[in-house]
Amino acid sequence: MDALARLAESFIGLFQEGADFFVALLTGIVPLLLVLLTFVNALIRFIGPERIDRFAVFAARPGIAFLPLRYLVLPVLAVFFLTNPMAYTMGRFLPERYKPAFYDSAVSFVHPPLGIFPHVNPGELFVYAGIAAGLTKIDLPLGDLAIRYLLVGLVVILIRGIVTEAITAIMMGRRTNDGDSEDSVAGARA
Amino acid sequence: MKGLTALLERIGRSVGGIVGALYQAGRDAVETVLRNVLPFMVFISLVIGIINASGIGDFIAETLSPLASSAIGLIILTVIVALPVLSPLLGPGAVIAQIIGTLLGSEIARGNIPPQYALPALFAINPQVGCDFIPVGLALGEAEPETVEVGVPAVLFSRMITGPVATILAYFASFGLYPDN
Repeated sequence: MDALARLAESFIGLFQEGADFFVALLTGIVPLLLVLLTFVNALIRFIGPERIDRFAVFAARPGIAFLPLRYLVLPVLAVFFLTNPMAYTMGRFLPERYKPAFYDSAVSFVHPPLGIFPHVNPGELFVYAGIAAGLTKIDLPLGDLAIRYLLVGLVVILIRGIVTEAITAIMMGRRTNDGDSEDSVAGARA
Repeated sequence: MKGLTALLERIGRSVGGIVGALYQAGRDAVETVLRNVLPFMVFISLVIGIINASGIGDFIAETLSPLASSAIGLIILTVIVALPVLSPLLGPGAVIAQIIGTLLGSEIARGNIPPQYALPALFAINPQVGCDFIPVGLALGEAEPETVEVGVPAVLFSRMITGPVATILAYFASFGLYPDN
């Protein structure tokens, strides 16, 4: 009987540990998240996400000078205003050869702003919040980490855009040389 | 008198509009939290609770902590996660990244990983971001099927380079973060 009781206790203990963790998350993250989400939702509503469309047409122009617009400003605006996953629809304004690079750049920006703007991807908050929760537990401030995560993220998405654009160009070029898929690449270049 | 009524009506309307938008924004926020955030919180609490209470946590901590507490280890972790074979499998819902992130967080809390490694770790656990979603993401951007055919391997190969680059950048950017620890 004693053993059974102890078994039951350790069984419940397995979940009590999780429940304690849940309460810590609930009180630590949810209130701020709700208020912040409300603010940003209202802001987006007042500004109007359709304005991004016009900027996307502008940023889609070819040329090295437009690289930072294509793989830095456009993905940031798209992710901020349209959030994951609707941000990727902005790719429709770009020529085919830039689309993979734009996707790579935009998708890489759905986590770095989470420390300051969790509205961009609340369903995957814990990529950031999981590590942040550990720092909170030992009473370290999060502001510096959140800002650095965002800034390094900006540099990374620009690099990803440029590298992926180059790799896409090489791979599309190879397909033309193979000869058997000329029209498809011509279509892709259109 | 007529002008005053018109003015009052206009004020009433615009205030009503703003309050309505804010109220709707709050409603959206609550729905997002209920639908997307809370279920994941419960799920991750269950996983973390079982991992910690059963002792698997110690095993994972022993394998993860050495990897996550040196620059070389973090780069090795990045390279593994960015492998084109693995990255699309590890991507969905960022579940793996979120679980590993939370585990690393509790290791930081226990003092097994120095806190300034939080920044490079954020990139080391996540070079696979979106790798499962490339065809859908490109389709949302109205890409041609030929572009998707080229785009999927292009992004996957690109991550082999940009994944470690991101971790190294973040490592250097973490200097001066939490200097007292």
